[in-house]
Amino acid sequence: MTPTLPAATPATSRGAAIVSEVTHHGLFWPVLALIALLLACGVMSPGFLDVTVRDGHLFGQLVDLLRNSATPLLLALGMCLVIATGGIDLSVGAVMAIGLAVSLTYLDNAPDPGDVGTVLVAVLLGLVVGALGGAFNGAMVAGLGIQPFIATMILMVAGRGIAMLITQGQITTVTSAPFKTIGSGFVLGIPTPVIIAVAAFVLVALVVRRTALGMFLESIGINREASRLAGVQARRTTWTVYVIAGVLAALAGLVYGAPTMAADANNIGLMKELDAIMVVVLGGTKLDGGRFYLGGLLVGAMLLSTLERAVIIFQLPSQTTPLFKAIVLIAVCVAASPTLRAMLRGRRRADRSDAPAAPVETTSAMEVTA
Amino acid sequence: MSTDEMVKPDSAVVAVAHRARRALRGLDRRFLPVLGTVLTLLVMLGVGQQRYSTERVDFVSMKLLSNLLVDNSYLLVLAVGMTFVILTGGIDLSVGAVVALVGLSIAEMFTAGLPLPVVLIVGVLIGTSCGLLIGVMVQMFDIQPFIASLAVMFLARGLANVISVNSLKIDDEGFSALAAWSLKFGEGRELWRINASMLIALTVLLIAFVVLHYTRFGRSVYGLGAGDGGAAVNLMGLRPARTRVWVYVISGTCAGIAGVLFALYTKSGFNLTGIGMELDAIAAVVIGGTLLSGGVGFVLGTGAGVLVYGLIQVLIAREGLDSWWTRVFIGVVLLAFVILQRVLTVRRR
Repeated sequence: MTPTLPAATPATSRGAAIVSEVTHHGLFWPVLALIALLLACGVMSPGFLDVTVRDGHLFGQLVDLLRNSATPLLLALGMCLVIATGGIDLSVGAVMAIGLAVSLTYLDNAPDPGDVGTVLVAVLLGLVVGALGGAFNGAMVAGLGIQPFIATMILMVAGRGIAMLITQGQITTVTSAPFKTIGSGFVLGIPTPVIIAVAAFVLVALVVRRTALGMFLESIGINREASRLAGVQARRTTWTVYVIAGVLAALAGLVYGAPTMAADANNIGLMKELDAIMVVVLGGTKLDGGRFYLGGLLVGAMLLSTLERAVIIFQLPSQTTPLFKAIVLIAVCVAASPTLRAMLRGRRRADRSDAPAAPVETTSAMEVTA
Repeated sequence: MSTDEMVKPDSAVVAVAHRARRALRGLDRRFLPVLGTVLTLLVMLGVGQQRYSTERVDFVSMKLLSNLLVDNSYLLVLAVGMTFVILTGGIDLSVGAVVALVGLSIAEMFTAGLPLPVVLIVGVLIGTSCGLLIGVMVQMFDIQPFIASLAVMFLARGLANVISVNSLKIDDEGFSALAAWSLKFGEGRELWRINASMLIALTVLLIAFVVLHYTRFGRSVYGLGAGDGGAAVNLMGLRPARTRVWVYVISGTCAGIAGVLFALYTKSGFNLTGIGMELDAIAAVVIGGTLLSGGVGFVLGTGAGVLVYGLIQVLIAREGLDSWWTRVFIGVVLLAFVILQRVLTVRRR
């Protein structure tokens, strides 16, 4: 993520070089924060790090953490790809709500909500609606060339209204054992959400890293026009990415809403787009686009849910969570910022005295071209 | 126009059409989005007048205008601050959370027995410091405005939750008097009024108009939106770094003022206030004709955008539609304006 400077000062020793490489890695601070948090939780709540097997299922706080990471991970997965193209998807929270609303409304009206086939159709419907939402975003961004921020904001604003229309302003509740499994069941002893999220992660990672798609995404994120001239189908690729993000958001909605099986259109996925963006940023991907780290998402999602958990373990009111999210977010961003590094290195003193234009941007541009 | 005229065009008609086209071409392209906003406003007023006027009361009236301003004064202030930020090509997502934080802080300060002027000033300054924090992160640490303001949004929301998760009532006498103060005009059904929050909001709008269009600072704001990282502004001898910090300070201050106005409006503070309010503000700015990419826009257009926004809600309420239709309609109007913006920017190239 951060441009590793091609040794402006020759490294004094190999060891120092390795240390420097590790501390400059984008994931250094997030991983450090995650480990520190987990240890702190372990100290505060002695049984925290224990994992037990009950009825062949894994139990324990760590397992819960993994389960809670599933939704942000799914959202962040799509968000990361979108950000790689230089975009942003603000509509994921609303798409979560729409997807869940459609699935549960279908189940509600089905003759037998407990039937596995019916549930599969409901899930599929939810995902298709997610894809449609993504297609709309894609049409706006790739088709009309509207800034992603505002294009996806439209669905973000209108989407929740649409979800309310689908549920007719009610909180639709359904009873369906197979559907509930999606959110709170176990497969091979592992919670289903974790399986789903990891499967989606592996699938996306394979597609993006084993085919040229990932490179296309990055090239679009760096310079759309150049990549188009180089023969990348920028428009189609961008469109695909938004559709993928939409489907993943709908899936996240199902995973998130399945345990309670209540489609609360007003609250499902509220502010989740911001959690997703935070996971991407914590995972070491910059919002500028062009480069992305899927592996970082795992760390980011874990960090987010550990943070939420830690607040409870430290017996702080759970409403204060946003405060700690803010502190971590600011700390990680500032720690990763080139300005702070420069300040610590004691260079660029001159620039700090409000002298010339936007020192940071020009320097980073130079670093890239160098 | 009938086919006859098409075949044999009347010379007078041609002349008028020609002159109209020339007038349009002569019109600065930058005015076109705002023109769209004003047209939308007129169409909405026309529809309202057609559908909801009775024999005794017109829909379009001073009463409507004053109600719109009273109900949306906090949004107007927020949107004015947001206009500064968006003109530089940035964004401020924290304003909704800041409104909640300010409201609760005000309530808490009154409970602590602080005098009214102190409470009001500190309330606004809370917003200012949130904005300053964003500005410093954006300028000094090169963090994208989006993520910096997101962090401050979490911060403000978290602090608000720390203060209280319950709604705090504000029952200070001076504050209630300020909230209740209004000048009344007209009689009976034609009654309309001017109140304090409306005056504050309009003053903020006026100051913003003067600052943006008639000062060196205003030029820097527009220059920063040019997308060259402030290089042009710097070459012009203006101060890009300082300006970039200032726009966030302004937006934060406006959020502080809006927090005070919202507290006046509801006479309470609540931690769930203002969720999504930043998007309302951004939507109003966009509908008001400011390009999200920065550099182009008018703060008076933002004022019109807020009126359009408020009118949507009035029309939906008058139609008897459920409130969630509001979100859908705002989405549709936003869509229309974004596409309009897009068409205009494509043409300009």
